Amino acid sequence: MPPKQVKGEYIETDTGNKVSRKSNILGSQNIILGGKTIIQADCTIRGDLRRSGAPGQHGNVAIAVGRYCFFARSSVLRPPGKVSRGAFSFYPMKLGDHVFIGEGAVVEAAMVGSFVHIGAGAVIGKFAIIKDCVRIEEGTVVAPNTVIPPFSRVAGRPGVVVEELPETAQDSLELKGIYRMI
Amino acid sequence: MNAPLFPSILISCPCSDNVGQQRSRRSKTAAADPDLDQWEEEGETFDPRSPRSAFSLFPLENLLFCEDCNQVRCPRCVQDEIACYFCPSCLFEVPSSTVKSEGNRCTRNCFSCPICFAALAVTATGEDQTGPFILLCAHCLWSTSDIGITFEKPTSITAQLTAKLKAASLPPSNSLAPPESSHSRPLSPLSQGSSVYNFRPNSPIPPPAPTDEAEFARLKGYYHQQNTIASSDDFGGAGSLSRLMGMYSTGRRIGSYGTGNMPKLVKQKQEWQEIESYRVMDSEDEVIEKMKKAGFYGATSQSQRIIQSHQPRLLEDVRPLAALLRTKRAKRCRSCRHILVKPEQKVGSIRYRIRLVAGLDHNAVNYFSLQPLATHQFLLTVTNPLYDVINITLATPEKTPGKYPATVYILCPEFEVGASTDVWDEALGPEAKPKAKAAKGRKTGLAGTIWDSGRNWTSVILEIVPPHLPDDVELEEDDFIVKVPILVRSVYESDVDKDDGIGKDIKEKKEHSYWSVLEVGRIGKKVAGKVGFDDSASAGTGVAVNKALPPTPSGEPREREHRDREHRSSSRSHRESAGAAR
Ligand SMILES: [Zn+2]
Ligand SMILES: [Zn+2]
Ligand SMILES: [Zn+2]
Ligand SMILES: [Zn+2]
Repeated sequence: MPPKQVKGEYIETDTGNKVSRKSNILGSQNIILGGKTIIQADCTIRGDLRRSGAPGQHGNVAIAVGRYCFFARSSVLRPPGKVSRGAFSFYPMKLGDHVFIGEGAVVEAAMVGSFVHIGAGAVIGKFAIIKDCVRIEEGTVVAPNTVIPPFSRVAGRPGVVVEELPETAQDSLELKGIYRMI
Repeated sequence: MNAPLFPSILISCPCSDNVGQQRSRRSKTAAADPDLDQWEEEGETFDPRSPRSAFSLFPLENLLFCEDCNQVRCPRCVQDEIACYFCPSCLFEVPSSTVKSEGNRCTRNCFSCPICFAALAVTATGEDQTGPFILLCAHCLWSTSDIGITFEKPTSITAQLTAKLKAASLPPSNSLAPPESSHSRPLSPLSQGSSVYNFRPNSPIPPPAPTDEAEFARLKGYYHQQNTIASSDDFGGAGSLSRLMGMYSTGRRIGSYGTGNMPKLVKQKQEWQEIESYRVMDSEDEVIEKMKKAGFYGATSQSQRIIQSHQPRLLEDVRPLAALLRTKRAKRCRSCRHILVKPEQKVGSIRYRIRLVAGLDHNAVNYFSLQPLATHQFLLTVTNPLYDVINITLATPEKTPGKYPATVYILCPEFEVGASTDVWDEALGPEAKPKAKAAKGRKTGLAGTIWDSGRNWTSVILEIVPPHLPDDVELEEDDFIVKVPILVRSVYESDVDKDDGIGKDIKEKKEHSYWSVLEVGRIGKKVAGKVGFDDSASAGTGVAVNKALPPTPSGEPREREHRDREHRSSSRSHRESAGAAR
């Protein structure tokens, strides 16, 4: 099936992903997009940074993204890496559904849950684990290896949980509306 | 939360004076003191600028709805019940018995940095991931080696840390005291009649002042022993606490337990008596001298000091902070005790078994500046989360309350909102949509007609003419904000509970009304030569609302983008997300 919009900013895939022509996606064969995800211009997604050596049980996947995610302009997704048993290796990054990554944010998390809002300019350190229903405010710097529990609002440098989100957080964090607008 | 975003809507919870009281009761109170609940009375306008209003206005997302009371419930009129405790760092659930015995901090390996409060990670310092291990802050690179502590193994850090701190901090004379002697030493010397101990300067041989930790450990051991004694007698473990309390209450009751050691224990009276136990403070000269030597960068900041239990003055005395446990809580209506929210027990789960929320709303809108004396149009959208059609009546005062009133006009104050039938209708596209009734006046902008409507939402136009603020008077920030009180009254018919088994298809008419406050925007400076965006009440171009969405480079603006506010009828939005929360 040919892409629907031949001209225009976005290339739409079979599963409804809208990827900007101006985005910078490396190693796309190692990236899984769940569908209906929007990747804006100047986004960098480093699918080339995959686990070294032979493909293991997870295959070659470097970055797995769920549905209805939104990566705003100039955001960077980079799988985390570390030295383990004397050798440096990257580890896969997994994102859930309805993940918003704000303009210029840099994400090196090991896992980001569903219904997560990462504000513009935020930095998510290596191997951070962000659970579901989390709002990370603009400019927050989450330290490496940090675990953010569900229903948290995170702010500051380093980012710490400053508030619990209400029960309705999931509704306010879902991104179906944004997808329809693009 | 963040800087105010306009427009925003706040809903008034009427509980501020009479939490959990019946309506009739409330009106009685209102009659007795008309000032208290004046907005409850017919014809009175809710004044968003009244000082009392701050206590009753809440954003929609913080409200719950009690179906039985047919009433909005704010955080103040719900009661929290702890469903489970968990560590926010390792996400392990902590049984409540452990919380009682070990305290409200994680006893695994979860610590945060005493300097910057980021999480600490257990890090190997040796070759090939071998020990010794340290707790390292990846943000500011502080580590436990800075305070001279390393660990032999990467597990059970809490136990290792406790042992090391105990060994390091307690002076031998104090810590090595045998447990028996610590029990015989009275906690409260005054109760024993010996007043010598506390007056160190007069005492010939001053006994060492116990550190808080030592005192705590001694108390804990003492009560633990008491508890063991109490539960090991004839009556078994159950109700040991009540018997423990009984032991201290009166001498008369003690005899009934018949255990030999009871009178002795009571005589010793070792429980903590806060009023009587005081300590003479150590001289601060030593600390001051140390601080002088350490300088500014060696001293703790206020936030670093107060978060530590021993409030250290110097950075060299700080300790890693064990993670404070968090809770998952169920919420009950304080009035009728019904459960409004019940989270799933699992720590990582975001699902709710029961969830009655007042509304779903989070359309952040950018900072919005209003032109004085120009007509601004807003689309007010009411969304219906119920499975029944609702009739909405909006009422607003012609002039908003306050020193500088704005003129408000709702073009179509009475309208119907379709039922939230099936989510699939929307998914299947416009063809599957049931034909919108009241299609008349679609986007005409004429008075008495709605702007637009969909499956379960209806938009009406709200016109606002902000006042011209005088230049020569000093104004408060609050005067610049246009706040429109709106009384929302909804009437709907819903199926009656078929408990009796007879009533089939019996519909019950339900009515609900509440005050909400729409904070429309901030009045800006009047631009010379420009009267407004659009004086004519046509085409929604007057709606100069900029949604706080990421820049959308292309794409046709849809009608929905013009909606400045998605206001779901905050009333009884009933959502039982039994599992399928998504
Ligand atoms: Zn309340
Ligand atoms: Zn923990
Ligand atoms: Zn730190
Ligand atoms: Zn109730």
